[in-house]
Amino acid sequence: MTGVPRVLPSAILPGWLRGWLRDHQPFRGQGRRTVAFLLVIFAVTSVASVGLSALATVRAQHRAAVIEVAARQRTLAERYMNDVLLRLGGQQSDPEGTGRLLVLSGKALLDGGTAPAVDGDDDETTVPAAQGATVRRQLERALHLIRDLTATGEALLQHRSVAGLKLTADEHSVPADPEARLRVLGTLTSNVSLNAARTIATDADRQLATLVRLQVLLGAFGLFGSLLLAWLLIAAIRRQTAHFRSLVHASTDLVVILGADGKCRYVSPSVTRMVGPDAGALTGSGFGSQLHPDDRSRLLALTSTGAAEASPLRFRLRAGVDWRELEATVTDLRTDRHVQGIVLNSRDVTERVALEEQLNHLAFHDSLTGLANRALFRDRLDHALARAARGGQTVAVLMTDLDEFKQVNDTLGHNLGDQLLTTIADRLAIITRSGDTVARLGGDEFAIILEDTDEGMARVVAQRIVTETALPVRLANRELVVGASVGVAMANLPGASGEDLIRHADVAMYAAKHSGRNRFEMFHPELARQAGDLLGLQHEIQVGLQRGEFVMYYQPELSLSSGTMLGVEALMRWMSPTRGMVGPMAFIPAAESTAAIVSLGEFALVSACAQTAQWLAQGLLPDTFTTWVNVSAKQLTAGGIRHTVEAALNAAGLPAWRLGVELTETSLVADDADFEHACHELDALHDMGIHIAIDDFGTGFSSLSHLTRFPVDALKIDRSFVAGIEHHGKNAVIAGNIINLAHALGLVAIAEGIETPEQLAELQRLDCDMAQGFLFAHPTPPRDITALLATPSWNPPGFRQGRRRPRLAG
Amino acid sequence: MRARGAGILLSLGVLVAGSSCAMPAAPRDATTTVKVSLEDFRLVVTPARVPAGWVSVSVSNRGPDTHEMIIVRTTAAEGDLALRSDGMTVDEDALASQKVDSADTVLSGTGRTLRMHLAPGRYEVFCNMAGHYRTGMHTFLVVVAP
Repeated sequence: MTGVPRVLPSAILPGWLRGWLRDHQPFRGQGRRTVAFLLVIFAVTSVASVGLSALATVRAQHRAAVIEVAARQRTLAERYMNDVLLRLGGQQSDPEGTGRLLVLSGKALLDGGTAPAVDGDDDETTVPAAQGATVRRQLERALHLIRDLTATGEALLQHRSVAGLKLTADEHSVPADPEARLRVLGTLTSNVSLNAARTIATDADRQLATLVRLQVLLGAFGLFGSLLLAWLLIAAIRRQTAHFRSLVHASTDLVVILGADGKCRYVSPSVTRMVGPDAGALTGSGFGSQLHPDDRSRLLALTSTGAAEASPLRFRLRAGVDWRELEATVTDLRTDRHVQGIVLNSRDVTERVALEEQLNHLAFHDSLTGLANRALFRDRLDHALARAARGGQTVAVLMTDLDEFKQVNDTLGHNLGDQLLTTIADRLAIITRSGDTVARLGGDEFAIILEDTDEGMARVVAQRIVTETALPVRLANRELVVGASVGVAMANLPGASGEDLIRHADVAMYAAKHSGRNRFEMFHPELARQAGDLLGLQHEIQVGLQRGEFVMYYQPELSLSSGTMLGVEALMRWMSPTRGMVGPMAFIPAAESTAAIVSLGEFALVSACAQTAQWLAQGLLPDTFTTWVNVSAKQLTAGGIRHTVEAALNAAGLPAWRLGVELTETSLVADDADFEHACHELDALHDMGIHIAIDDFGTGFSSLSHLTRFPVDALKIDRSFVAGIEHHGKNAVIAGNIINLAHALGLVAIAEGIETPEQLAELQRLDCDMAQGFLFAHPTPPRDITALLATPSWNPPGFRQGRRRPRLAG
Repeated sequence: MRARGAGILLSLGVLVAGSSCAMPAAPRDATTTVKVSLEDFRLVVTPARVPAGWVSVSVSNRGPDTHEMIIVRTTAAEGDLALRSDGMTVDEDALASQKVDSADTVLSGTGRTLRMHLAPGRYEVFCNMAGHYRTGMHTFLVVVAP
């Protein structure tokens, strides 16, 4: 039974009360309701008791009055009898007056009213109408007797016979003698009045006794009810207190009450589970001694500042040799007379704080090297710049990129790569001061913030980085050597933000890389301008691709023996709205450093195939006509070139042998992995029937062995060897040897950049197969090529006679 | 109950042996009932003649006034019992030896029962409230040998 406190043995309560308590639970809420209930019970019982007392008093007064009047009536009856006898004896008396008083008294007693005074020493008495059937019948009997008495008295006084008088009070027999009858009736009247008075007194006593019993019952009920309710209330409060105490005791939270004197007044027992010492040891000044020194004054000051302290607040409590981190809600109950202190509702957040710190560390540190990550680096840099701005000091950012790291990762695996990075990270940490920040921004890219420095010191550190990094690293029984390209940017430019500084250092680092690696470069504005141009160009290329600003131009390639157009080289032109028409040399290098080169290459293939297919459909192409498209090294190593070519051919419906791809020597001198990959791709293209030419042959560093490993069909002699060939100098020797080499390997030799008839003649003399150049035609829109192809009588400049079929075949 | 009843019987036996006036034991099943009705101002005994022996006298007051009932064995004529000097009440002291039993102060509407052993003879039953006897509240009860 939840409504009745457990301390009360419920068995003593009746079932209905137990049920009512269970249903209504009168003590579950505030005690105020119960107290009001108690007061109501007191009030009701008190009012009832007072009412009963008043009633009893009135009854007692009535009883006294009625008894008095009844007693007077008895006296009157006897006096009447005597008065009559005295009168008859000739003495002075007033039987008539006494008889009237007697009748008045009898009526008053019966029906209520004023009973007359009998003697001088009493007063008229007002009595209520008689209550109760018995009393009324008695009084009626008395009244009849009074009438019989007075009638007999009157007859005697008037000397009349009494024998004929009709008696009204059921007198069974009366003496025949008139005086004896008078005496008997007088005595009867007196006796009946006396008996009536007794009956009235008895009734009144009984009623009074009933009232008194009722009062006692009410009092007992009020007393018992109030005691019961008070008992239940006390028990409920005890239960509630016990309930809350249990909650506090069982709670994992720690409740602390700090008194106004700064001492701890209460510590919940959960403190034992939390930190060890029991609650008793922590109360008083013991609590302060267990607080972390940093928190002590702040926490104990709460007793004076109260709620002014921000809530929740953190503090640490000693737990053996460790500290527990607690987070407390502060409630100022100094004005609450029950508490009179500051209540700290504290929760142990040690694990949470540790986790937060761990997460915080993870969020701001590189998991491999333990160095700061990019986010923390940015944050530290911003702070360093803010400090520098205040203190007039200088901050330097050193951006470091490892050279040759990719090879280590690719050839020796990521595990060793990671170990290498860790070693380098350690070296960087040793080089720098403790106040400096070393961060790993990703991959093999590190960054260092030097605070309170100058350019000279930054240079020293940069050089040390280069030197230290270049020292061999011994890993897995190997000696690995990597280098570092370091870019240094000083925060000495007004208004330079952290982001600017990072970009500047980046630019300087790339400059160092381009300047030969394993060195450092200081940033200067010129570097920024160059880098800015490059970035702008790359962005514009991307946009231009989307806007269709790129078009294909074609330059005829002619047979040197016959002058027949045997092919065209597809050359990309960028019709930039801001730069005008841009040649490939101006944008291809920029595009090669981004993914745009792949898109541009795809565009070139698709356009060239479509255009060639169109010429073919128009019946304009000679049998051996080939369209040459340049393919960059990036396209080749990115993979998928075979699929791109296939898709372009299929889309255009062009036979594969109508297409040739030109590769620079640089494409073929990548590392081993790329070389193998490129071999596979080229083999696949060649198997499809596509011609392959090496562009700018003689300018790169390719090994001649590549010519045997790659499926090459043609060599294109770089324009630098064609220029001045007519003077029979070294160029002529080289060109001649290239032509001979090509022929020896069964390849077609194609000369580029023929500008004069003399050059043409010399190449013809050297037995070069084909040529292209301004002498014949500039790179031109496709419609011009269409026109040339549609003109069978076109005689290219420099040609007169004689035709020889080129070796190039489908 | 049985032991107590035996005790009463024994003491009654002693009394019988020691005195000629001693009452015999009361046989509960052989009791004659006499009803005495008290009214203002009349006294009626029913039946007026009973056999001697144990008599249960049931007194009831039907009148509004308070009454009493006294039974005395008498040889006097009805209504001729000696009065006190006031001339209004029977001189009970003079009748002390004749008095069998009495019911004092029988309030209106109440009653009570008396058990008594009546030897053959004439008994006067009356109310001795002041003036009641003189007003006619008396009658005879004749007890005859069974």
